[in-house]
Amino acid sequence: MISFIARRTAALVVAVLLASIAVFMVPYVTPGDPVRKIIRSRVAGDVVDASSIQALSDSLGLQDPLPVQYLRWLGRFCTGDMGLSHISRTPVVEQVMPALAVTVSLVILALGAAALISLPLGITAALREGRRTDKIITTITQSFIAMPEYWLAPLLVLVFALRLAVLPSAGWTGPASMVLPVATLALRPISYFTSAARSGMIDALAADHVNAARSRGLSYPQAVLRHVVPNGLLPLTTLFAVWFAGLLGGSVIVEVIFAVPGMGRLLYDAVLNSDIPLAQGGVVVVVALAVVVTTAADFVHQLLNPRLGGRLG
Amino acid sequence: MDVLVRKHTAGWAAVVILAIIVLAVTFAPWLMPHPPAQQNLALRLSPPSLNHWLGTDHLGRDTLSRLLDGGRFSMSIAALATILTGLLGTAIGVISARRRGWFDEFFTRTNDVLLALPEMVIALFIVAAMGTGFPSLLLALTITGWTPFARLARTLAYDVSSEGFVEAAKVVGCPPSFIIFRHILPHLAGPLLGQATLRFGQLLISVGALSYLGLGVQPPQSDWGSMLAAAQPYSERAPLAILAPGLAIFTVALCVTLTGQRISHMAGSRLLIPTGTVKDD
Repeated sequence: MISFIARRTAALVVAVLLASIAVFMVPYVTPGDPVRKIIRSRVAGDVVDASSIQALSDSLGLQDPLPVQYLRWLGRFCTGDMGLSHISRTPVVEQVMPALAVTVSLVILALGAAALISLPLGITAALREGRRTDKIITTITQSFIAMPEYWLAPLLVLVFALRLAVLPSAGWTGPASMVLPVATLALRPISYFTSAARSGMIDALAADHVNAARSRGLSYPQAVLRHVVPNGLLPLTTLFAVWFAGLLGGSVIVEVIFAVPGMGRLLYDAVLNSDIPLAQGGVVVVVALAVVVTTAADFVHQLLNPRLGGRLG
Repeated sequence: MDVLVRKHTAGWAAVVILAIIVLAVTFAPWLMPHPPAQQNLALRLSPPSLNHWLGTDHLGRDTLSRLLDGGRFSMSIAALATILTGLLGTAIGVISARRRGWFDEFFTRTNDVLLALPEMVIALFIVAAMGTGFPSLLLALTITGWTPFARLARTLAYDVSSEGFVEAAKVVGCPPSFIIFRHILPHLAGPLLGQATLRFGQLLISVGALSYLGLGVQPPQSDWGSMLAAAQPYSERAPLAILAPGLAIFTVALCVTLTGQRISHMAGSRLLIPTGTVKDD
């Protein structure tokens, strides 16, 4: 278990470092003078004349070898100094953190909604395997995989915001404004969670210890609750984490459509405006969060599953 | 027999619908009733008529013609990305399974990490670094897209490698490339084809997403995603202009998913139960 944690943590650190190197390189590989771009992200005032650019370039160490510059950049980044946005001219970190809070709450709400809907559906389908209920649930939820968010969202807006006028079509200002973005984002996870819950439950129902429990005198509902549900739903812990990471990216579309002031919207605006420091800060934060969550889920999965040798310590 | 036919109805229907759409998009230049870029501002946002079967968009362009024309781009780039990621992923997966060692370790770890990275954020990042255009669109789709193929190919190649005939081929001195092409790849073909079909549907949705955001295809060329984005402000007056391209993506993705599941299922049963009693559904 310790070596497992050590190996995964090492992979995590390497992954985030590699991503950060790619992000660090952006000003150097995009068109234009990297020195000017970097100065613009470090100094609030406009610098135009060649002599002050030279002076700033020296004082910021922009003539140093790239690895040295990278370590300096990484050091600043880790202490929360992500530079100044090229557009708004305010510190990137002040824009990234509130946006991150919005996106994380959007993703958690969507995952929670998806779990609340799909777990009962998946369990029901498994208990009714092969019957009409199972077929209806399976067919409908599977078709959600093919549903593009950027189609569902305009349709939801058309029906609920424009025609019925019961929900706002954009913004992130109160519970009502959250319904449509959360519903759009939850659709695809519902499809995958239902299918995973169903197949997990079917496998768990067929296990010998369920028969053993029944023969010891447990009623069918007791056996299902005690022995089938925990085993059948165990694989979902990893799935939740994978989807948390996936939805951090998937929320780009939803945030753009519904004008939700989250990370997806921020990254999208940064890319459209070529706001390099903002894009750098946003990408590193999202990637780090995604990798940490996925790794944490691996640990939890390991702990919960005794067959994988899950003992603490 | 009757039962068999009925059991496969959904699968066959999906194949037929898919074939019709592929043919329609392939022969779009001859099927389009109007030039897709032809504007007719007098007929802006008109409802369906005999002349314009699906009505017109905000510039008076024929929606049906644009749908047929746009499908060429959406489908071909999704197909190209599927082939590219399929070949790359299969190569990495098979070599990992055969060579093992550091190669295997490296790509398995990379795979784990890429699985955790949000695809859309990576795509945005690539567009930020390289600008919009065909190469960055393809790179954005490929850089994370090879991983499902590599995982599947590696697992299957591992299993096949332990079979007697592979050992036998090795003992009689067959070169590794011969073993891979003659003994390993034929066993992987079915499941990988199923995977490729499923991935095509997902990639089609991703291409549409990037185009919807204005990061994929650039004007004057349009595809289903960019049509959706352009029609959205007028959704109340001309709902058909957002219904049609979205329905096109949904239909193709759904049919492809059904077909892919069918193929995976058939390939899977044959791989696991070689004695002939293929279990259905």
